[in-house]
Amino acid sequence: MKTTQTIFEEGGHKWIAIVRDPKRPDYIIDTNEYLIVHEDDAILCDPGGSEIFPAVFSALSAEFDPSHIRALFLSHQDPDITSSLSLWLEFNPDLKCYLSWLWPSFVSHFGGTRKTFVAIPDQGMDIDVGELRLRAIPAHYLHSSGNLHLYDPKAKTLFSGDIGTALLSAGEDSLFVENFDRHIHHAEGFHRRWMGSSKANREWCERVSMLDIDMLCPQHGAIYRGEDVKRFIDWFSNLEVGILNS
Amino acid sequence: MAIGYSRGQQLRRIVHINEEIKTVIATAFTINLMAMNAIFLAKRAGTAAVGFGALSDELRRFAIDLQKQMARLSEMTYDRVSTVTALFKQARLNQTLESTVSLCGGLGQLLVEDALQNRLNGALMDRQAQCDALNRRLTQMIADIVRLVEAGSTLARLAKTEAAYGGILSVPLTQVSCDLEERISEIRRSLEKLTKHHLEESEA
Repeated sequence: MKTTQTIFEEGGHKWIAIVRDPKRPDYIIDTNEYLIVHEDDAILCDPGGSEIFPAVFSALSAEFDPSHIRALFLSHQDPDITSSLSLWLEFNPDLKCYLSWLWPSFVSHFGGTRKTFVAIPDQGMDIDVGELRLRAIPAHYLHSSGNLHLYDPKAKTLFSGDIGTALLSAGEDSLFVENFDRHIHHAEGFHRRWMGSSKANREWCERVSMLDIDMLCPQHGAIYRGEDVKRFIDWFSNLEVGILNS
Repeated sequence: MAIGYSRGQQLRRIVHINEEIKTVIATAFTINLMAMNAIFLAKRAGTAAVGFGALSDELRRFAIDLQKQMARLSEMTYDRVSTVTALFKQARLNQTLESTVSLCGGLGQLLVEDALQNRLNGALMDRQAQCDALNRRLTQMIADIVRLVEAGSTLARLAKTEAAYGGILSVPLTQVSCDLEERISEIRRSLEKLTKHHLEESEA
């Protein structure tokens, strides 16, 4: 089963990370899911694939009533993010699913109806969770052609999808980046190959540099916090991406 | 895994049924052409082969009817694929929810158990009912086709008898009627296999 860790808490406003399943088969990539709670409402970021649904749901339900999850935020269309959709809809058929306008007709192969999907325009949009206003930030071509991140200005936390991912080896599974220089080696190959456009890369770096970010939370690997957020953005802005041989 | 394997077998049986349908349609097409030739032959034989000509005409209509019936059966088999696939998907969702129950405690467990119960009483039951209804329609349609082929078989036998009275063309008329009879026997063998696959499929 996965574990949950509250990475931000201020009154009824929380970020809960659902991470690290020791029983996960090694042929399935590890994923992080993030639940953003505001009082009685919540949105789940990148809910994960159907194979890991039992581990995610059981860990999450120990912390929060899953029937209060009002929406899912999907950074992009990959199966490790979206294939559990029909299972989440079992618990709340009215669940809204926010994602780039490019993907509803593709992701609906995993479940959902026309009313399930809320298409986010290329420039992003505000998403309300109860009284909390979040902002979907464009990250197109990083790596998906319709890719978005979710920024919480109150928690100063950015859910960054695949950006920041590090493919950690066994035993290096701490929740936060502890040694940036060592950690970034695990991120380099992934970013060079998976990220498709250096122009998109630079634009994203400029965009997020203007945000006040305390934590940058990727879908795989460890969370960047404090000075490591800026270090990561600087490192990424200078990285040549979209190339086959790294 | 057992559920997945069983559904996989169901899909394979449907593939076998489709193969037999294609064989019957192709043979019925051949019978249609053979019956047309037989009609021309009967005309050449004159009044002695009037009965043979009428029976050949009936055999031609039989072949056309059979092709239409088999095309309808093919459409219903396609519906069967949709239903089996939907049941497969439902069973997979249930398996995942059952795994979730075994990991959950407290509120999570209650929620998943409720969802499972609702699924069993709702979507899954509806799908199963659809599947059973479709099975009954397929059984009825196969029985109708078997009866139609029996009638075709009788027509071919009668044509063979009539061929004996075909005057100077009685030898080629007999040959044609024997060929028609053999083709209809092929269809019967295909229908036997098709029925066997369908019965196994219905019992799955």
